[in-house]
Amino acid sequence: MPALLETQRSMRSRLFAPPAEDRDASGEELFAIYRATIVSALINALRLSYPAVLRLVGLEFFEGAASQFVGARLPSSACLNDYGEHFGDFLLQFPPAASVPYLCDVARLEWAVNRALHAGDAAGIDASRLASLDDKKLPHMRLVAHPAVSLLQFKFPADLIWKAVLDQDSEAMACIDLQSGPVRILIEREASGVQVRRLDQWAWELTRALALGEPLHVALEGLAVPSSEALNALLADHLTSGRFIEFSCPGDAHP
Amino acid sequence: MSDSSRKSSMSSPIPAAAGIGLRFPHHRQVLESLPPVAWFEVHTENFFGGGSVRQTLLNVRRHYPLSLHGVGLSLGSAEGLDAQHLQRVAELVRDFEPSLVSEHLSWSVLDGEYLADLLPLPMTDEALQVVCRHVEQTQETLRRQILVENPSSYLHFAHSTIPEWEFIAELARRTGCGLLCDVNNIYVSASNHGWDAKVYLSALPAEAIGEIHLAGHAVRTLGSGRVIRIDDHGSRVAPEVWALYEQALRLFGPKPTLIEWDTGVPAFEILLDEARSASGRLQATRSAHACAA
Repeated sequence: MPALLETQRSMRSRLFAPPAEDRDASGEELFAIYRATIVSALINALRLSYPAVLRLVGLEFFEGAASQFVGARLPSSACLNDYGEHFGDFLLQFPPAASVPYLCDVARLEWAVNRALHAGDAAGIDASRLASLDDKKLPHMRLVAHPAVSLLQFKFPADLIWKAVLDQDSEAMACIDLQSGPVRILIEREASGVQVRRLDQWAWELTRALALGEPLHVALEGLAVPSSEALNALLADHLTSGRFIEFSCPGDAHP
Repeated sequence: MSDSSRKSSMSSPIPAAAGIGLRFPHHRQVLESLPPVAWFEVHTENFFGGGSVRQTLLNVRRHYPLSLHGVGLSLGSAEGLDAQHLQRVAELVRDFEPSLVSEHLSWSVLDGEYLADLLPLPMTDEALQVVCRHVEQTQETLRRQILVENPSSYLHFAHSTIPEWEFIAELARRTGCGLLCDVNNIYVSASNHGWDAKVYLSALPAEAIGEIHLAGHAVRTLGSGRVIRIDDHGSRVAPEVWALYEQALRLFGPKPTLIEWDTGVPAFEILLDEARSASGRLQATRSAHACAA
């Protein structure tokens, strides 16, 4: 009698690598039912996470690309909201998608939106704790970003394309200049929903460095900050909007 | 389904009345109209995150008794449970205090990959030991009893040695878990494998049944001419399944009963209508039990 692990491994390989020469046609038909259920559940998860990509390429193309992606990469967790992070990278390498040069950028943006939608809840930093911070320590402060926050940079205006596609606004779509240069985006979750907004280059670079855990003085190195008022306003906005959930300074007892 | 049955306290049990599987397309309608449904069940894994999705479930929980129905714990995985997944379930159970928590007699995780379906287990002594171990681990982690649902299947393992109904009864006996009796699954599997659905039902310990599931299934003819029933939750409950449900109620007495619909989710009113059909049969069972008493 085969051990359970052996049974499960052989079932898995039969599910995803059906025998080329089929000795048992009706057995294969039964496996095909399971295979179809798995593939359609995963394609459906991708459809929910990538609605703008779906609209850009159409259902048939999307399902074709998604089923190839599914075949190459199964989920690592049973939480399907977490499935499909690398679909944008897959599309970049997918020759039939080459005719839509901005598809990968839109997919990466949609993944960040999906992540923002499903990230766990976490309270922003308590302002009173920050107020008690020693001025000398401030430059050494490190921050932890809210799990819903992403900072992405795109070659194409992915934010405008994404919005026009989801709004089905063909006029707005027609006005988009694909050559307008790189865009730098902050994606986050507010009480009203997921927000996608552009930041100036200095603000984006500073915010990204802070989100990566760099100390403030390192994050500021070489940045073309327009004025100290602009810097203070940005930091104040970050803190009051709950974009960061924890901070630490060298020598702090708390994490 | 009186109004009072909807006013739940944190500790209230699920009433022996008809509930509905709550899916995303109906979230807003349910919260805005608070329909007369005795309780709701959701898929646990859809609520692992925060934000508005979690807030929706908190609002549902405020108005209705709640059941958390897992699809991804993979109680039958030979390699052991995913500790991180179990922890996320535990956090949800802690935060929502659901009246019922259930999972499936199946497997879906292997070598760190999630095969997004409820795959069948061979009915062997080893599989029984594995599932018992995982049910015990889950109940210890959650600090509560869980219900385990009988599967639907198309495949039969030649090396199975235990009838599925005996496997399930023994699982409940050894672990103290409750059972979620999916009547549609029994009908589908009995039809696919040539079992007697009545024998299956009669073998289940009535006192362990904590919930009943009802759903629609599809019928497909394979190339060989063999007819297969597929548990796709994509239609109304079949007349034969209603008949089997009535038998289940005669055997088990009135039990919380859920209407599930996952493929091509219809208007909410259709689900309400199915729930009314279940309610009528629950009411008839209660009357019959009262007469017999």
